[in-house]
Amino acid sequence: MTAKLYTTITAITITALSLLLLLIAAPHALLAQSDAVAESPDSATTAVAQVPDLGPILITVEDFPSDAGEALIIGWEDPGYVSLPDFIEYRVTRYTDDSDNGMVIGTSVLNPEVIDGEASHSIAHSYTVAAVFPDHEVISARSEPAMAEIQWVAADKYAVIIIGIFVCAAVIFFIETAKRGKTLFLRRIAGLEAIDEAVGRATEMGRPILFVAGIQDMDDVQTLAGLTILGRVARTVAQYDSKINMPCRASLVMTAGREVIKEAYNVAGRPDAYSDDMVHYVTDEQFGFVAATNGIMVREKPATCFYLGAFFAESLILAETGNSIEAIQIAGTAMPAQLPFFVAACDYTLIGEELFAASAYLSEEPRQLGSLKGQDVGKALAMIAIVVGGISVTLAQAWDIGLFQVIESALRTAFNIQLPVR
Amino acid sequence: MKKIVPVIVLALLFAIALFNDSALELSPTWSWVVTILLGLAMVVVLILSMTGKMIERRIVFLFVGISLVLPFFMNFTMPLNVSPVVQTLYDALNKLPKGSKVLASFDYDPPSAPELQPMADAFVKWAFRNDIKVIIVGLWPQGPLQANLSVEAAMADPEIAAKNPKYGVDYVNLGFQTGNEFVIQGMGTSFRAKFPTDLYNTPYDSIPLMRGVENFSNIDFVMNLSSGYPGTVEWVQIAVDRFGVPVGAGNTAVQAPQVYPYVESGQLTGLLGGMSGAAEFEKATGEAGQANTFLLSQSFAHLVVVGFILIGNVALFIGQNRRRAPLV
Amino acid sequence: MQFDIGIWIAALLTLGIISFLYKDNVIYKVSEAIFVGVSAGFWFISLFWDNIYRKFWVGVFPDPTSGKEPQYILFGGVLLGVLMLSRLFGNKAGWISRWPLAFIVGATAGLKMITFLASNAVAQINATVGNFVAAVAAPTFAGLVTASTVTIGTFCGLVYFFFSKEHKGWFGGLAQVGTWVLMITFGASFGYTVMSRMSLLLGRIDFLLSDWLHLIK
Repeated sequence: MTAKLYTTITAITITALSLLLLLIAAPHALLAQSDAVAESPDSATTAVAQVPDLGPILITVEDFPSDAGEALIIGWEDPGYVSLPDFIEYRVTRYTDDSDNGMVIGTSVLNPEVIDGEASHSIAHSYTVAAVFPDHEVISARSEPAMAEIQWVAADKYAVIIIGIFVCAAVIFFIETAKRGKTLFLRRIAGLEAIDEAVGRATEMGRPILFVAGIQDMDDVQTLAGLTILGRVARTVAQYDSKINMPCRASLVMTAGREVIKEAYNVAGRPDAYSDDMVHYVTDEQFGFVAATNGIMVREKPATCFYLGAFFAESLILAETGNSIEAIQIAGTAMPAQLPFFVAACDYTLIGEELFAASAYLSEEPRQLGSLKGQDVGKALAMIAIVVGGISVTLAQAWDIGLFQVIESALRTAFNIQLPVR
Repeated sequence: MKKIVPVIVLALLFAIALFNDSALELSPTWSWVVTILLGLAMVVVLILSMTGKMIERRIVFLFVGISLVLPFFMNFTMPLNVSPVVQTLYDALNKLPKGSKVLASFDYDPPSAPELQPMADAFVKWAFRNDIKVIIVGLWPQGPLQANLSVEAAMADPEIAAKNPKYGVDYVNLGFQTGNEFVIQGMGTSFRAKFPTDLYNTPYDSIPLMRGVENFSNIDFVMNLSSGYPGTVEWVQIAVDRFGVPVGAGNTAVQAPQVYPYVESGQLTGLLGGMSGAAEFEKATGEAGQANTFLLSQSFAHLVVVGFILIGNVALFIGQNRRRAPLV
Repeated sequence: MQFDIGIWIAALLTLGIISFLYKDNVIYKVSEAIFVGVSAGFWFISLFWDNIYRKFWVGVFPDPTSGKEPQYILFGGVLLGVLMLSRLFGNKAGWISRWPLAFIVGATAGLKMITFLASNAVAQINATVGNFVAAVAAPTFAGLVTASTVTIGTFCGLVYFFFSKEHKGWFGGLAQVGTWVLMITFGASFGYTVMSRMSLLLGRIDFLLSDWLHLIK
């Protein structure tokens, strides 16, 4: 018990630490931060006659927020040079000492700021900004020397880290709960209930069942989910004394498929009926595999076809062939682009996460069940945010109710929401 | 007999390919006649299926094929409205002042060219015409080569040829870099580190256009043309959400529905979805090109497909009623 | 007489592939085999020059005139790459290949987790509510309908994928709406796919008609 508690705490700490590290390592969005490091004094301009003197270019140098002390943001106020017809660009120059040996670190036309990504957190830099015209430049005064600063936490991403830790903690909590033997409730999944019916139909018709566990290898989690469901299918097949045929695209999937079916036949008390020939390797070439599987379908005319795993362009080809031989088809994949085809051409489709849910439901494996429940917590969080946010915004805007304005602004801060610019 | 037909068709095609050099064009009257004939043929198919005769799938292919080929010779103009998502992208581009630097990421290969190349052509032409500097990169190996095709197409335009955009000054092709989304991530700190040389091995620092370009903060806009992974999703997740640079995208139609939520949320500044998006973009930029020609064919084919969906459903329902009939 | 060997090869291969629509035949198989072989070859060469030469070799042994420091850290990547090859030695040493795999899975999971959480979860919740905010702030009929559709659609879609509660009663009703939203999405996606495939075919037809047959300008 204590050991498990320690495991949980360690896991949460590691997750939190890695999230923190990731956030620190990543440079961040250009959100303005108020810790201005230096502001330039009034600038002196060196305008030449043809360019109207629109006033000095005022520059600010700020630390780049949430980075490892590698960048400074040099911003300026455009007195209106951008709209002059001959204007070429603003040019930013960096100086590391008092001499005039500067280095151009960036140019910009529209955006009145440039990020110096090679600034140092040990040497101070000063900058000038020049508005460049074909024959002359308007140069600002030099800014006060400034250094980049190291931040350990990405302050603008705290919503992400809090939600991340919350969801991870929920996943770990439910995995631990499931490991302790508590039953976790999962809703019924329509496609699963059709399995028995589909296998039964094949038995009645005296025709085999075709099972395809996707076209990816064992490293794809969808393949694993497909194989878990295969266990259940194979058990029913063994009980009904039906036949199953499973062509594979990857040799590892073939080996794993054989193990799963053998186990299912053992559980059903019919080890004698199992044969290795039920699962066979075809080819690694995608469309070669599809052609061979289609051939099997057309020749053997299976009464039921299962497609559970990761599928690509072959999804519709398989499902269409299955349709043409009038098989009952049960499909499941988490490939968003292939789902429409399965939904259109199959009798039952496990849509996206339902594939994993079905796998967790059948395997009753703590890690699968726990992750699913943990993700449900994340979804619940999103639903609550949407409903509470939507209602409070409407009420706050429509009837000026103070309480809802408070909720709305709290949510907006939490999710870093700005009014969309349209 | 059956074997002779393909031979004759092939021989005919070979003869045309070898000896023909005059373009074929149908007058508006003939275009209408052909369209009506095609419609009538579909009515015949409808009647056949209503009487319970199953038509072969090859007939459907034939109809779709004809409907795709015929419009190439027809003299119709398609009415076309620019949709808000395309307009958003065009407006964002149009707001860029002369001399702005746009990073164009070509993340596709020849198989997706029919959809994405018209977008690329229109974009490059528009950029050259409006004095926008274009920095080309590719997260797909063939992307930068596709970009070169667009540059060639733009140079063929007399007005642009007169402007004579210079390589290295007005546009540059930094080539392909492996590493998928990690390339975008790295470009956030330093373009130079990810693209030490351009496509032709010119060192980064010797390219005039790249002087002063360190990272995304020196880029005014990113235009991404994508047909999969890595592509628009990665550009949004990293370039937009981490580095805050505006990104507009052109996508294959297959990918477009997955990218729409990013437009809705404002993470993506406009989207060109498939051939219709390309045609609308051509209209918005005024750079009429291939997509406008293709759109007529595509619309014809879509009508045929919709027609067959209706025929299929009518046949199904009538078939069901007929099967039920004896029971009553 | 006009004859460009490149165009003829491309045209014949295109016809070979299209001939599958009539029925599976030997010309189709030959064209497909050529396609598979050429693309495998292209990818091999491309990956070799881009990864092993441009990234590793040039990185570790840079041109001395370029003044670049050799990046010895790249050997780390090479080592992991070599470990992947241990799969070739069967079960005895095959397990070593799990180390680089673990590295890839770990690094990708870390990177993707933050990106997806930020871009696909937080930013999308943000937008779902944010659109509503905008629609309510400046109410127009179309704006309100769009914002409500998106908000209700997202919510009901989430309900459909919520596995901890049985789809019964009002919750079942919401899930049913979620199913409709999903089906409409699939329909739109299917439609877009049809459009995409037509476009690809158009590209080929355009090539045949203009470059090969010279029937259009």
